[in-house]
Amino acid sequence: MELIYQGMYIAVLITLALMLFACLIRAIRGPRIADRIVSVNMMGTMVMVMIAVLSLLLKEGFLVDICLIYAMVSFLAVIVISKVYMGVYEEKRHNSEVKSNKIGMEGEETHGNT
Amino acid sequence: MEILEWIKLIVGGAFLLCGLLIFLIELYGIFHLDYVLNRMHAAAMGDTLGISVSLIGLMIISGLNFTTLKMGLIVIFLWFASPVSSHLLARLEVSTNENLGNHCSIYDNLEDLEKELIEEKIKQEKETGGEEA
Amino acid sequence: MSRLKPQKEYEKTGAFHFFRWLSGSKDPYLGEVEMKPQKEVEITEATIIERMNEKQMIRDKVYDVKHNRQLLFFDRIYVASAILFCVILVGLLLYTVSYLPKTGNPTNPDNNEVSERYIESGLQETGALNIVSGMILTYRAFDTFGETNVLFIATCCVMVLLMVDDAILKKQEVKNDRRYEPKNDAILQGTAFVLCPIIFIFGIYVILNGHLSPGGGFSGGAILGAGLILYVSAFGFKKTQRFFNEHIYKIAKITALCMYGIIGSYFYILGANGIENHIPLGTPGHILSGGIILPIDICVGLEVACTMYAFYALFRRGGL
Repeated sequence: MELIYQGMYIAVLITLALMLFACLIRAIRGPRIADRIVSVNMMGTMVMVMIAVLSLLLKEGFLVDICLIYAMVSFLAVIVISKVYMGVYEEKRHNSEVKSNKIGMEGEETHGNT
Repeated sequence: MEILEWIKLIVGGAFLLCGLLIFLIELYGIFHLDYVLNRMHAAAMGDTLGISVSLIGLMIISGLNFTTLKMGLIVIFLWFASPVSSHLLARLEVSTNENLGNHCSIYDNLEDLEKELIEEKIKQEKETGGEEA
Repeated sequence: MSRLKPQKEYEKTGAFHFFRWLSGSKDPYLGEVEMKPQKEVEITEATIIERMNEKQMIRDKVYDVKHNRQLLFFDRIYVASAILFCVILVGLLLYTVSYLPKTGNPTNPDNNEVSERYIESGLQETGALNIVSGMILTYRAFDTFGETNVLFIATCCVMVLLMVDDAILKKQEVKNDRRYEPKNDAILQGTAFVLCPIIFIFGIYVILNGHLSPGGGFSGGAILGAGLILYVSAFGFKKTQRFFNEHIYKIAKITALCMYGIIGSYFYILGANGIENHIPLGTPGHILSGGIILPIDICVGLEVACTMYAFYALFRRGGL
């Protein structure tokens, strides 16, 4: 009985590890930043399952605590990264708009002077 | 008692296998679909359904103890957290992509979309009605 | 603000001055010392050239090596003695090291006796079920005190570099406080409203259970800091400042560090002199046990939570 359980756990762990590599490929290839965040978030979900399986394999209940913290931290990472990236993007666009407006106005002025 | 143990193993293993299958479907979706907003749909399925099914399998195997409670807490937490992170990611994509119109049609106000939907519905009803008649 | 004495008499007492200084409502230098605004420094090419020459000029004037033979002699002696001192120090240290047992030798005492002592008598001596917690917070409390100080100094440095003046911050509040971010995200706010209390309670549980289960000050503090960051990103800095502003940050951080110092020094001094300490160890397994581990865990947790939040806020906005 024990052997069957252990074999099942190890098979699940190996399958999940292979899936993680596939996710990593998506994270590297992803053309936009949202692609990368989505795949990293997915990897986090798989790692959570891996930790839960590991806690049953090693018979250490406290590993599930780590799983809970992992879930929390990955959620927080997505929120903070998306908010900060949005803010930075908007700021850049605003600055470039202000700059182009200024350049346009200066060009008009010089045109008027000549 | 021996039979009960076997039942536990089989049911738990089946749930775990289901979870892995859902993860596999998620992976296929992530590579098959070609835009982020579509891929997000596949990813969100794994975040909520995949992890909950596989953790339910592990909960059945581990039996009634404190570990089970914590696993249930993880599932509930992810049900709260995952849709919100998907929402924020979609918002990030929509607000930073300058040529979003290439990938999907955009409506400035919702009424246009509603009008279009109602028109389509009427058309469909007419067609089906015509066929029946 | 005294209830026993009238206001005028109370203002003469030391307590009034102390609390006024503590709350920072009055600067002791303002009005007492004559202060003038600084002159604007004009930088022209002439001043730059002058400044470049200044160093050489001072060196020539003070260390007039060409004419002063005595100084030249001292200069050479100084260099020679510095080299000699370094060589002697290195030699002494190497000589001491040669007495130590070889690294990686399986029969070394640090591979056997130290860990044996920690594992066998750790529970009796520290009263903690979690051996790691007992090790880092009693046997090696001095190390952990250093780590806590590092956290404190790191936040101080970041504050010195990135802190923006309060007046400028208020002027730019519209610009800085999420002007470019989605402002009132109802979905995120609803989730944060439910999740923040749970995260805080979980962090407090991890801190208070540090001596019984895995966890402790550092991990619990990190969870608390994560909860604070979630609250900020959902509700904005203005609402966070109602319960966690710069004043409370200062009080929490300095109190935690001082408490750790006091408890730790009490423990070291008694232990070094072989005196029995009067902190009861309690029965292992209870929440109130483990001697000094529980209070130190709370101090470290506060410190780490403040550090995490301060880093986020300082890099995001330039103020707490």
